[in-house]
Amino acid sequence: MPELSRPLPPEDRLVLLPKNPGTFFVFWQFSEGRADSFHTASFSPEIELRLSYAEDKTPASSHKAQWQAGRAYLPVPERGGNCEAALYALRSGAWEKLLESNPAAAPAAAGLAEDRAYASLEFHKKVLS
Amino acid sequence: MSSRGSLMFLLHAHLPYVNHPEDSAFLEENWFFEAVVETYVPIISVLERLASEGIRPGVTISISPTLGAMLESEPLEDKLVLYVGSRLELIEKELERAQDDPALLKTVKFYQKLYEDAAALMHKYSGDLITPLKALQHAGQIEIITTSATHALLPLLARPEAVRAQLAAAAEDYEERFNRKPSGFWLPECAYEPRLNSYLKLSGFNYTFTESHALDNAASQTPNGVYSPYRTSNGLGLFARDAASSREVWSSKFGYPGDPAYREFYRDLGYDGDYEYLRPYLGSDGIRRPLGLKYHRITGPGEDLSAKEYYDPEAALARVEAHATDFLARRMKQTEDFHESRGTRPLIVSCYDAELFGHWWFEGPAFLEAVIRKIRVERLPLQFVTPSEYLNSCQEPQEITPGISSWGESGYFDPWVNETNDFIYPAVYAATDKMIETANRFRNQDLSSLSARALNQAARETLLSQSSDWAFLLYIGSHAEYAKGRVEAHAANAVKLLSEVIDKRVDEQALSALEQQNCVFPRLDFRVFASVSKF
Repeated sequence: MPELSRPLPPEDRLVLLPKNPGTFFVFWQFSEGRADSFHTASFSPEIELRLSYAEDKTPASSHKAQWQAGRAYLPVPERGGNCEAALYALRSGAWEKLLESNPAAAPAAAGLAEDRAYASLEFHKKVLS
Repeated sequence: MSSRGSLMFLLHAHLPYVNHPEDSAFLEENWFFEAVVETYVPIISVLERLASEGIRPGVTISISPTLGAMLESEPLEDKLVLYVGSRLELIEKELERAQDDPALLKTVKFYQKLYEDAAALMHKYSGDLITPLKALQHAGQIEIITTSATHALLPLLARPEAVRAQLAAAAEDYEERFNRKPSGFWLPECAYEPRLNSYLKLSGFNYTFTESHALDNAASQTPNGVYSPYRTSNGLGLFARDAASSREVWSSKFGYPGDPAYREFYRDLGYDGDYEYLRPYLGSDGIRRPLGLKYHRITGPGEDLSAKEYYDPEAALARVEAHATDFLARRMKQTEDFHESRGTRPLIVSCYDAELFGHWWFEGPAFLEAVIRKIRVERLPLQFVTPSEYLNSCQEPQEITPGISSWGESGYFDPWVNETNDFIYPAVYAATDKMIETANRFRNQDLSSLSARALNQAARETLLSQSSDWAFLLYIGSHAEYAKGRVEAHAANAVKLLSEVIDKRVDEQALSALEQQNCVFPRLDFRVFASVSKF
């Protein structure tokens, strides 16, 4: 999997982006202090990414990940629509919320024609094949 | 004969900003040179020829701010002159080599004319191809619109400040270049989401375009489908892309560009010719690269490149005529069917990347000319119309909220967010967040000239990091290292410059170098990124 070759400034950040009607992309970074808490095992290495509906803040789904993974693809909750993500870490048996994301809207699925000529990639097909 | 329907042709002209003054023959600058010779010059020539004959083209062209900057860049113009001169020199040698091969000779002469025409048009306008486009718009022959500043895919910019900065920089750039405010906005990759409505309207845009399936998920019924314009609740005009006319041109499987008589894109003298013979025309790295001299035709589907037959320009032009006739017959059928079922005249919106015409589909500009000319000569009951003209003359469009969508593969954002390119977003967001924070911190402060220059350059670097092109190139695996390097460099440049301003230790020499290399938006004010914009 390709990675950046330059280090990023250590900052807290959780960003939720739409990918398609079924999938959100989420990525996160930690400040030095937070990263140290994971390094020194104050926090367990496994984090939890919780999606909630942006309108009423009701929980929608939760997903486990390793804190160092930095990014993940999450299924869009059944109701779709606007969601927010929160990142939780486990300390001394209790989950602590560390980061909150922006709201992101999942697209609704449309019935696309099978022979739809999508733009931009058509003429690169030979490069890909 | 009165019109039974309207056609709206939108050509979206865009290239990522590529400017490497440090290298006399930088590989990726060839994207620009090839597009000028194969697409921009032929399209401008078609438009000027039609206008001079009293046939109003009536097409809409979206010119991205990054492409506009390259078309006006004197260093790139100088390199372009060298590029065209080098090709003409090679063509002279090729004419010698093809003396005993009449079929090849015909094609080499064809290329000689292509490059001579490019040189002549550039000479006519002193290297600045914006000038004829501006004149065509001024004369009411075409409408020119803009797109986001660096072709950022706006639904992937979570921060409102970042979206506003992309729109504000684009609007200001357009006004400086074309001496009027832009009315229309092409959403990069046709990527739409409802939150953009207010940003577009507040930035002064009157209309934009969406993909056809955006209507499938509109909050209300759209009985006229893509055949009529719409408006959002805040009065932004919306045009939806017609899938049928797009497929006929875009699709390599179903579309015209796959015709066996048309030029084969992937076979090029740069890979076929003797290495020592071609060496003077390759870059400083000596690696074989496309030289733009492609002597073969598609020949047949799935044909091995080595089995391709020679291209025959006259045979290809005959197919252009046939395809233009077919295209118009299909549009006539669409308009008749719609009129029969709905009782009104439809609008057919056909949107294409401009570079498809000429660069990828070599015969595309001739097709465009044939379509426009046939409507006039054959007195077909169709008329070309621009978006502003249509909105000014149509009844109040129906209000809708289209669904989130793009014109890319699968219809959403998959090509720009996947395992091949998702690693770039932390860098883009690191630069963007720091840019916004710093703009907020300094927006009301008296700044030294050096600090202001550094902040403005940081804003340029941030915008450049947000370009959708880097993610797309990584996805298709073409120039992937270059794309990765560009994202990383722009994000790192922005963060470094902002830190230097905060720490009051701006490196003026390094800043000057960046200002020279990444010199888009010369009048950009970093405050476009502030949370409460001064604009």
